[in-house]
Amino acid sequence: MTKERTQVADVDRSLYDFTKSEEGYERYADGLTPDIVRAISAKKDEPQWMLDLRLKALDEYHRRPMATNWGPSIAGLDLDHISTYVSPKTKQASSWDDVPADIKDTFERLGIPEAERESLAGVGAQYDSEIVYHNMREEVAKQGVVYTTIEDALHDPTWEPVVHEYFGTLIPMTDHKFAALHYAVWSGGSFVYVPAGVSLDYPLQSYFRLNAQGAGQFEHTLIIVEPGANLHFIEGCSAPKYYEANLHAGAVELFVKDGARLRYSTIENWSKNMYNLNTKRATVGADAKMEWVSGSFGSHVSYLYPTTILAGDRSSCEFTGITFSGATQDLDTGCKVILNGRDTTASVSTKSISKDGGINTFRSSVVVGRHADNARCTVSCQSLMLDNISRSDTIPAMDVRNPTASVGHEATIGRISDDTILYLMSRGCSEQEARTLVVNGFANPVSKDLPMEYAVEMNNLIKLEMEGAIG
Amino acid sequence: MADTLLDVSGISAGTKDKPILHDVNLKVGAGETHVLMGPNGAGKSTLGHVIMGDPTYKVTSGTITFDGQDITELSPDKRSLAGIFLSYQAPVEVPGVPLYSFLRSISQMRPELKCTAREFRRRVGAIADELNLDQSFLMRELNVGFSGGEKKKIEMLQLLLLQPKLAILDETDSGLDVDALATVSHGIQRYRETVGGALIMITHNTRILERLTVDRTHVMVKGHLVAEGPASLIDDIDKNGFERFETKAASEGDAR
Amino acid sequence: MADENATVVLDRVNEPPAQTWNRLRANDITLTVPKISRKGDVYFALPQLFSHIECGMGEKVTSWVTSQAADARYVEVPAHTVREEPIVVAVDTDKGEVADTGVMVRAGATVSIVVAAGGTNAAATTSASLLRVIAEEGATVTITEVVGIGSSQQHLESVGVDADDDARVEVRQYALGGGTVAFGTAVSLSGDRARANVGLRYFADGKDHLDVNHVVRQRGKNTIAHVRENGILDDAAEKALRATIDLVHGARGSKGDEAESVLVFGDDVVNKTVPVILCDEDDVQGNHGATIGTVGPEQMDYLADRGLSRKDAEALFVRALFEDAIINAPEAHAHDVAVRQAERVLGAEVAHDFDASVQLAEDEEA
Repeated sequence: MTKERTQVADVDRSLYDFTKSEEGYERYADGLTPDIVRAISAKKDEPQWMLDLRLKALDEYHRRPMATNWGPSIAGLDLDHISTYVSPKTKQASSWDDVPADIKDTFERLGIPEAERESLAGVGAQYDSEIVYHNMREEVAKQGVVYTTIEDALHDPTWEPVVHEYFGTLIPMTDHKFAALHYAVWSGGSFVYVPAGVSLDYPLQSYFRLNAQGAGQFEHTLIIVEPGANLHFIEGCSAPKYYEANLHAGAVELFVKDGARLRYSTIENWSKNMYNLNTKRATVGADAKMEWVSGSFGSHVSYLYPTTILAGDRSSCEFTGITFSGATQDLDTGCKVILNGRDTTASVSTKSISKDGGINTFRSSVVVGRHADNARCTVSCQSLMLDNISRSDTIPAMDVRNPTASVGHEATIGRISDDTILYLMSRGCSEQEARTLVVNGFANPVSKDLPMEYAVEMNNLIKLEMEGAIG
Repeated sequence: MADTLLDVSGISAGTKDKPILHDVNLKVGAGETHVLMGPNGAGKSTLGHVIMGDPTYKVTSGTITFDGQDITELSPDKRSLAGIFLSYQAPVEVPGVPLYSFLRSISQMRPELKCTAREFRRRVGAIADELNLDQSFLMRELNVGFSGGEKKKIEMLQLLLLQPKLAILDETDSGLDVDALATVSHGIQRYRETVGGALIMITHNTRILERLTVDRTHVMVKGHLVAEGPASLIDDIDKNGFERFETKAASEGDAR
Repeated sequence: MADENATVVLDRVNEPPAQTWNRLRANDITLTVPKISRKGDVYFALPQLFSHIECGMGEKVTSWVTSQAADARYVEVPAHTVREEPIVVAVDTDKGEVADTGVMVRAGATVSIVVAAGGTNAAATTSASLLRVIAEEGATVTITEVVGIGSSQQHLESVGVDADDDARVEVRQYALGGGTVAFGTAVSLSGDRARANVGLRYFADGKDHLDVNHVVRQRGKNTIAHVRENGILDDAAEKALRATIDLVHGARGSKGDEAESVLVFGDDVVNKTVPVILCDEDDVQGNHGATIGTVGPEQMDYLADRGLSRKDAEALFVRALFEDAIINAPEAHAHDVAVRQAERVLGAEVAHDFDASVQLAEDEEA
């Protein structure tokens, strides 16, 4: 036999690659000016403080340089040609029947209403810049859980002060250039409030769909989980493929209070013309727990490092991530953990797969503060190279400032061994099936941490040739 | 002799750097049991792997015919689907792939074994019981963290499930404790009884052969098949070792 | 003489091939160094081919050293010979010496190179050693660097090695403390089957600042690289280590691994570690690991049973590190540097106690 290798199926995008007309949509001029920012704010009828914040952020955006000594190139991104606000002509609905047919069709195809009926406590669906659908089960609302848009929360006298108190405090606009951009033009996203002691049996899910060409999506997610409460939040993202660059610069601020627990799961499958410069951050109180499950499959360029600040004593976090980088993709992903409380623990486990010239970079930082007595952190990261035209780099950093802390890191990079392929082939698997089987197994620790429908989506993404055979 | 199932004809093979097998000829009839013996490093395992189509070894001359088809150029998966099974000395670990899903998929890709999920579950369960294998093993990852004996049982499980026409068992008995050895022997027995397939046993240990009716015995030394005989040859080797074959191989080598 | 106060700032020193968030302040070090050369001076430079060798501390340090050093020293080890005496680069840091050395190890030759940099802290100085080595086919090179300087001194220790087919490169580094010590080491395994072992042991206490950049470029087929860093940090010492295994496209069959293990004793220690694997080839194996912590509870319990307090136990690890340096110092200069630093850290009694036992062991062997 020849040793020539066959290919593992690339991510099948046909499921996501359908576009809908933008006709009749409200689309703001490309580029970034104070006028556009004012227009967005006026349309949303925002309080003055929010407009001030936006204008200050715009200033900050123009002032800040990009770091040039690390990270994938974003030279293809020209903000002067990205529309920061595109809105479908529709009001937010709480019944799918009230959502315009073509938009409803989009979400039907993505399986959102079905998942909502079966396994979710609530759903928010964003189309371009605005949320088009929002609904939550009645029994959840009765427990005092709030799941709405930030825009709506700002118009509610009960919640406006809460948003004001938390918004932009965890991710400051000065964090980096695209955080500043985000605050200038943010639109859509979710506001979630879970009262003390309330535990949701089912997850809440927000789905973000960017349909418009040459546009940006800048949703803001603000979640407050009060002491002793428990929430699982799911975020999905996709977009059809265009040749013009799209930009996603969302921000996710998560406040996990003492003794609370939050699981945040994401499957990101933006199309390969997307610049995904997303910022996610959680602050975790005493005895509280933060769990991240993060799958990155799409986008042309990604900068994505969910950050956890273990502020409270005995707080903990787990990060499980997978990144699949194929042709034309340069995905720089990983996470950051800051251990500040005593007896805090963090565990990070990531996998990455590179193929067809794709570039994967795992980047992390673990910072142990002076007062984090007995802090424990382990990082484990495995990378699989599927051919010799792809690339995989591992760039972790550790900064430890407490003598009682213990930090461990391990990483391995390699390919599927010939012995493994031979073993599987001797049992009748073709070389392609054998490779797919191994890749699937490699990804398994992540997919088993995902909710069922997302695990299925991920399996679709890796396109298991095996599925038919398993029956 | 029964109809020839496997015909290894004039095979020479080796790695890139070094030839290992020299002009090997071996015929195995359908349903026959053959034993391949020889000192360490003689090339017995290599022959097993060459019959399976391991690309590590390059065949430089000769042909391998299986079930009437020239398979010399076929990849291992095609040979597997044609009905050849090689049990590994050291089965490979495949993280993240549950044993059960693996068994299900390799069985579904064989038209003769296709069945409903329910029927499959029953069959696998029955074989696992036969092999004293706890059902919980089926949910574990393929060979990951299994002991040597457990891995060999998993190989037997696949053997009984796939029902190949020819099974090559490469040192399946090595390094097993008494219990595991009994289970593996039992598995081989079951294969002979229920499937009636042919068998090539590569072994040092004659104990595992006690309960088998051996048709032919082959002796390999330094990559040459130097002797072939009936089952009684095993007892002879048991008593006298390989020495005289080694001398023979050496003199043949000199003659060249 | 030129103005003794004239200084030049070298930024982005010890910069690794791949960098990360600048706010971590772990990507490089900025050093202020004197400018002592005089306009119009002509120094002997190394043969041109040494200029192509990547050095661990980077271009800026290389050009600063070549412009500041008194005559560059070129040593050639003839093909298929074993050079019995080591090539010694002794840097007296009290005098702020700067050395520029190039060694050409011809095919199949064997050589040991020693860099010993130390002083009594008599003056606040900056010293440096730049060592560039070309290891031809089948050559065997052992480089031992022992650096221990005064708390007000600064030393730059830059090494670049290029290894051809089947060459073996062994680098043993001892960073035994001092004001600011920067080690930069770059080894290029350019030839097929070339191998490198890079081992660093370090100790820093007080307000010592240690900055390390290790880079191994695996370019040839079937190359092997092992990199090990092992250290102890006490008091308010600050350390940054960048270690990069670069599996370059075409390095089929190569294996690279790197691991650091750090014991942190001091409450005010700042310990930064950035271990990096760059992989542009599929048929390779790359691994790295880092372990940062203090004496483990099980170890501590065991030692306590033997009558040791935590401080005693910590001292035991420090002592072991200095013993290792003294035992492995291959010649007098390196030995002196190691003993002097041991005296400073452990006290004269302890230092001489184990130095004497080393001598005894050597005498017995003889």
